[in-house]
Amino acid sequence: MEFDIPLPEELELLEANSYFPEEEEDDDYLNFEEPPYPYPIDGDEEVDISGCKRLRKVIPDPIVNLDEVSPASEKRSKIGDNNRVEMEDEEWLRFSPVKEVVDVMEEEEEEEVILPQETILSRYASEIDGECIPITAPDGGDRVYAKFCRGLGDEPVKKLDMKTKSNGLLKDPISVLLQQSEQDAFNKVLQTSSEDQNETIHAVTSVMHEKLWVDKYSPSSFTELLSDEQTNREVLLWLKQWDASVFGSEIRSTTDEVLSALKRHSTTSHHQKSDSAFTRKNQFNRWSKGSFTNHKKSDESNSKSTDIHDLWNKKSKLSGPPEQKILLLCGAPGLGKTTLAHVAAKHCGYRVVEINASDERSAVAIETRILDVVQMNSVTADSRPKCLVIDEIDGALGDGKGAVDVILKMVLAERKHATGKENIDNGKTSSKKERRTAPLSRPVICICNDLYAPALRPLRQIAKVHVFVQPTVSRVVNRLKYICNMEGMKTRSFGLSALAEYTECDIRSCLNTLQFLNKKNETLNVIDIGSQIVGRKDMSKSLFDIWKEIFNKRKMKRERSNASSSEAKSFDFLHTLISSRGDYDLIFDGIHENILQLHYHDPVMEKTVSCLDSLGTSDLLHRYIMRTQQMPLYVYFPSLVIPIHRLVAQIQKPTIQWPKSYHRCRTLLVEKQESLRSWHHKMPPYIGRHLSIKSFVEDSVSPLLHILSPPTLRPVASHLLSDRQKDQLAGLVMLMCSYSVTYKNVKPDPALSKLREDGASDASVLALDPHLFDFISFKGHQFKHHILTLAMKQVLLHEVEMQKILLASGGRSGVLNKPEIKKTAPDLARKTVAASNESRRIPITSKPPSVPVEKATTSKAKPGDVKKASRNALTFFDRFRKSRKDYEDPEDVQKRATAKRDSRPLLFKFNEGFTNAVKRPVRMREFLL
Amino acid sequence: MEIRVKCGCEKEECSEWTIVELQGVVETQSSFQGSLHNLEIGRLCHSDSSQETYTFTVGYHELIGSKVTLKKPLLVLKKRKDDLSEKSSELQVLGIIRTKILFKTRPKPLISATN
Repeated sequence: MEFDIPLPEELELLEANSYFPEEEEDDDYLNFEEPPYPYPIDGDEEVDISGCKRLRKVIPDPIVNLDEVSPASEKRSKIGDNNRVEMEDEEWLRFSPVKEVVDVMEEEEEEEVILPQETILSRYASEIDGECIPITAPDGGDRVYAKFCRGLGDEPVKKLDMKTKSNGLLKDPISVLLQQSEQDAFNKVLQTSSEDQNETIHAVTSVMHEKLWVDKYSPSSFTELLSDEQTNREVLLWLKQWDASVFGSEIRSTTDEVLSALKRHSTTSHHQKSDSAFTRKNQFNRWSKGSFTNHKKSDESNSKSTDIHDLWNKKSKLSGPPEQKILLLCGAPGLGKTTLAHVAAKHCGYRVVEINASDERSAVAIETRILDVVQMNSVTADSRPKCLVIDEIDGALGDGKGAVDVILKMVLAERKHATGKENIDNGKTSSKKERRTAPLSRPVICICNDLYAPALRPLRQIAKVHVFVQPTVSRVVNRLKYICNMEGMKTRSFGLSALAEYTECDIRSCLNTLQFLNKKNETLNVIDIGSQIVGRKDMSKSLFDIWKEIFNKRKMKRERSNASSSEAKSFDFLHTLISSRGDYDLIFDGIHENILQLHYHDPVMEKTVSCLDSLGTSDLLHRYIMRTQQMPLYVYFPSLVIPIHRLVAQIQKPTIQWPKSYHRCRTLLVEKQESLRSWHHKMPPYIGRHLSIKSFVEDSVSPLLHILSPPTLRPVASHLLSDRQKDQLAGLVMLMCSYSVTYKNVKPDPALSKLREDGASDASVLALDPHLFDFISFKGHQFKHHILTLAMKQVLLHEVEMQKILLASGGRSGVLNKPEIKKTAPDLARKTVAASNESRRIPITSKPPSVPVEKATTSKAKPGDVKKASRNALTFFDRFRKSRKDYEDPEDVQKRATAKRDSRPLLFKFNEGFTNAVKRPVRMREFLL
Repeated sequence: MEIRVKCGCEKEECSEWTIVELQGVVETQSSFQGSLHNLEIGRLCHSDSSQETYTFTVGYHELIGSKVTLKKPLLVLKKRKDDLSEKSSELQVLGIIRTKILFKTRPKPLISATN
């Protein structure tokens, strides 16, 4: 009996590492079987089997006579307590179990009294008088010394011998039976251990560090989870879909049990203990069927569970992994995402491998790690398949992306592989392929706080996303109350609910706060909650949440307290929310994008005006900050949001869109500016210098378009035009040349063709080359410009091309034989510009009527124009060159020409032979006639 | 009527002439009014390669031609009027033409951008 006490401690140690009971069965069982000393099985649970017997034998023992009684009785009281705990456990939600606590406290006191009298178990061998034996804990390596009692040692051996002799009567040898009973009892202990913990921990507080309550009371089984049931079930279902590919058909036997576990969970949301023993035949078969049949009987038929059943049946027929191979859990901190992932994976028989923010997360390191987890099977004793849990995948942007990339790559490889498989559909080839590519063959659960983190964008598309919602306050409070009771901390449910609300049901921060207060021996004070620094995970809310907060009015707070304080509270809340986020310009963009979509009552637009006023102020402020780099001014941004919130916040939930219009407009602006600039560069400088881009768009684009598409032009052949029309056409062509505007074939843009109503929407459309119509086309605005017909455009295009060639060749040909052309062309250009600018009122100088336009331009030579023309050169440099030439014209040009002529006095003129002679047979007779 | 052809070169061989045949016309610039006097017509070059190619540069054209043997050689004669006897006239042989340089291809222009 001396060894009763080590066991709870060991249990406690096991619990400290928060192992699942089932998991411990293998290892610890062995440990318990082979002690260096015949090891009495255990304390509490053994009593009904053999404990009484042993106790009787112990009592007559002279050595431990007095001392033994007290532990035994203590044990008994403990057992009684445990039983009571078990009994009352189911009703712990309904009653506050004061009795229990009192009992526990009493017992602790009792224990403290007893322990000094005789140390049976101690960390130090010196504290034990007499013989002692070291006992090492199965994990953790803690060593304690236990008193060695010789009188007791013989008894079990004798008993064992006796029973081995009567072996023949039993079906199984005694060793097997013993093992079984030990194991059963051990399971029981582990099952109840979560209730026993507070007792055991107090027994060993002197030697143990106190654990965080968060770890201590973390749910160890699926049914204890605090998070939303629907999410839990879906996560579990997703994990189970892997069974076919991970476990093969072996898993089929557990489906019923999982189902009933789900059923049970859905009907009784709080923890229930199964009172029967566990079997270990199946690794995953943790719940004996007997207990579940009981549950099933007791359960009324639940519609939800049948739904799940159907769903499961459907899914179970499918073989292979689920459609989406990644599970992405996201939600605010402290809602139990990581816990859910761990518990669910364990529940489904996986070994959880976690990669979190503290691990190395470079792409290479993480890839090898993921490949290890996902593709290899371990050869160690723990051969359960692994399940990868990547925690806080959104945490580090640069490094976190490595993980995302690796996962994406693997999933995509898998998809390719899948398509390849379909094509080939051959077992051998597919298996070969599988080796070559790196498919994802194990479940991967990713956990993040912000679903909309940029790093996660690609992952979001391929993963199955579950968003965690806050559990109800009552649920959290119930759990908190339970834990407080267990820890012996006196709290009120009102205070707890206030705490839960303040932390937004972040159970981690709740527990940490409580533990902190408990340690300081302070009580939870409702008023203090706001001021107390409640430990929270450091993270800012996502932008969508912030916008939601801005546009959404909170009803709850208004009800609870009076108006003024709630206003102040919401003020503070918004202020801290926005200032902790920091992306002020993005926040304001979002407000600007969404504010006009809201439905707020505003008959005379007052609210809208003042909201836009605030937005304008923010804009001015932002501009000023950007210009002067006075970053401290950013402090004033959050306060600008608050009047907007006051004005437009509604109770109904707004639909919020990501601000896109700003970026769209910005890119459009850049694009158009670029096109304008390039056009400006193409223009000859003597025109371009009078045209600034800004003023062009604001002032002159519309008149220019009027000039470029005059309504009087008719698309007829050039010889049918009247003189006036010909002049017009020539003027227009020259204008287009000098502004370097032309028509170009463009692909029909549906929106454009609709706007322009060209008619030829299916064929390619001729549009102005710098698309000047773009600069005046606005959404919902129909411009009144006359639009030329397609034929007219073609004529113009042709003419402009001709004119360009003429202008380009004018430079060379002018020197040799037609020096006048060059002079006339710019002159004409100048004139047409002038004419068109004065809206074509001035008639262009007379021209020979019958000459076509292009000829008219070349033949129109006037000595009087020469000097004027010299001022208007074609290009900037042409001006100088030509004017010099013109200046030297009388003598110098003549001299140069004669010199050139003299150098080549004779020219060769080649006589080309005719090869296109008509050949036809001619009779001699025809000549004679 | 008897026309006496006299070869003035008894002792040495008769001088050999060559025809330059062009497909085309060599014209003077308009400023020279058609007089070829004192004008350089062009430059005839003979390449040293095995093929007998000749380049002839006239104005801004370059002609490429080859030497061709005439089927019938031609004699270059000069009429010499005898002042004494008016009736009889003498033709003096100036040279014999056995080959011609034929430029029958299209001329290659030599105009550069500066021209």
